[in-house]
Amino acid sequence: MRRISRKIRKLTAEILDLPQDVVFDLPRMTMIGDRQLYIENHRGVLHFTSDKLRLALSKGELEVTGNGLAIRAIWTEEVFIEGQIIQIQILN
Amino acid sequence: MVNVSWLQTIKGVVTVRIRGDQQEMLVNEATGTGIRLWSIRRTSNGELECELSVGDFFRLRPFLKRTSCRMHVVARRGLPFWLNRLERRKFFAAGLFLFMAGMYLLSSLVWNIEVKGNMKLTEEQVLLAARQEGIYPFQWSFRLDDADVLSKNLVRKLPGAAWVGVQQHGTKIIIEVVENTVPEPLPLYSPRHLIASVDAVVTEVKAEAGRPVVSKNKKVKRGDILISGTIGAGENTQTVVAKGQVKGLVWHEYAISSPLAQKTKVYTGSSKTRWHLLIGDRTLQISGYGKPSFEKYESVKIQEQLSWRGWSLPLGRVKERLMEMREDTRTRSEEEAIALGLLQAKADIVSKEGADAKIVDQNILHQKTENGKVYMKVFFEVEQSIIEEMPLVQMQGE
Repeated sequence: MRRISRKIRKLTAEILDLPQDVVFDLPRMTMIGDRQLYIENHRGVLHFTSDKLRLALSKGELEVTGNGLAIRAIWTEEVFIEGQIIQIQILN
Repeated sequence: MVNVSWLQTIKGVVTVRIRGDQQEMLVNEATGTGIRLWSIRRTSNGELECELSVGDFFRLRPFLKRTSCRMHVVARRGLPFWLNRLERRKFFAAGLFLFMAGMYLLSSLVWNIEVKGNMKLTEEQVLLAARQEGIYPFQWSFRLDDADVLSKNLVRKLPGAAWVGVQQHGTKIIIEVVENTVPEPLPLYSPRHLIASVDAVVTEVKAEAGRPVVSKNKKVKRGDILISGTIGAGENTQTVVAKGQVKGLVWHEYAISSPLAQKTKVYTGSSKTRWHLLIGDRTLQISGYGKPSFEKYESVKIQEQLSWRGWSLPLGRVKERLMEMREDTRTRSEEEAIALGLLQAKADIVSKEGADAKIVDQNILHQKTENGKVYMKVFFEVEQSIIEEMPLVQMQGE
């Protein structure tokens, strides 16, 4: 049953040309150079230090590596990170 | 540091440090219930430092216990803390308040009053009327009536003012006065008679005021009363300003001499131009030196001055034209000379006796031609105004 619904969603997304993050609850990341990162659709902070930030996603985890990271602002589904960002990794 | 909005500054912002193992859990749970945390950063000794508003600070407490974290406040900012500090410095606060209050009170006083647009009314008169309406220096401006009421009352108080405008500019009150334009009063006349100025035969009597004494075709002598200023009889006698028009026939005798030859000036057409430089009120001739080739001439000067935007500069040029002139002599016939002499005499009468003088008849009594001139004696009969004013002397007491 879940597989069918996912297929239908994928089909509608392709037909209507909808952005994938809306349909599949995927994170949307906006990055300004290496200094600012804006992540939508996260599911909470798992681990936070000044050089590593792990965020929970609907499926998997997101790991941001950098120097002097700081969460400038955080809301339930969005997070705004500042600092020198070196690496972004998605772990499934 | 993050820019904190003014709203958060009013609410008060605290910077806290969180110790414990489940700091991330705390952040997740806090944001899940709508507590806003910002500027979250990790300090070097493993503590989490973040900022939040005072209200959120108290709402965060239950989560601390649940996640077994400890929190302590590092810094406080914003209005509540500032007020708190102010409470300790009571005299400073009182001074601040007194300054504000003083400023407000002083700015709600009327400091000066300006009167504009008065020509006949003096400033003192206007200010006195304004004082009666409550406009005076060091008056509370909130005790003043509305501007329209004030201007209405001031118009009533000030005779000769057509409109009064009252404007308040901060601590200054401007009273603008527009005055009535009163027509010039009529000249006053004292009671009078109208008498004859010359010997004449009356042709027309029009009395506007007073009692006409003469009638048409009556012969009057100089000084006779034409329109009397006393009316009524016996006890009801009254003196008035006699007014009216009386015309009569008057004889004028003219001895006229009219020349038979006439000299006229004629330009021959040849001319010479001289240029002058104008500096200040002095001129300096530049060109056209030397005597002109002709003997008699007239010079016409045209002055041009430099000007810039309505400012005339003390610099310019003068063009002088010397035009050759010739004197011609024209001879007239006797008839022409007579006609010209009569015309001049008539013009003289009209200029002396006024435009309404009408020449009724003319009679050449005597005429002879001698030494290139026509001499004649002419008698003109002119219908003209013959009135003259004579004031009535009041008889006081009998």
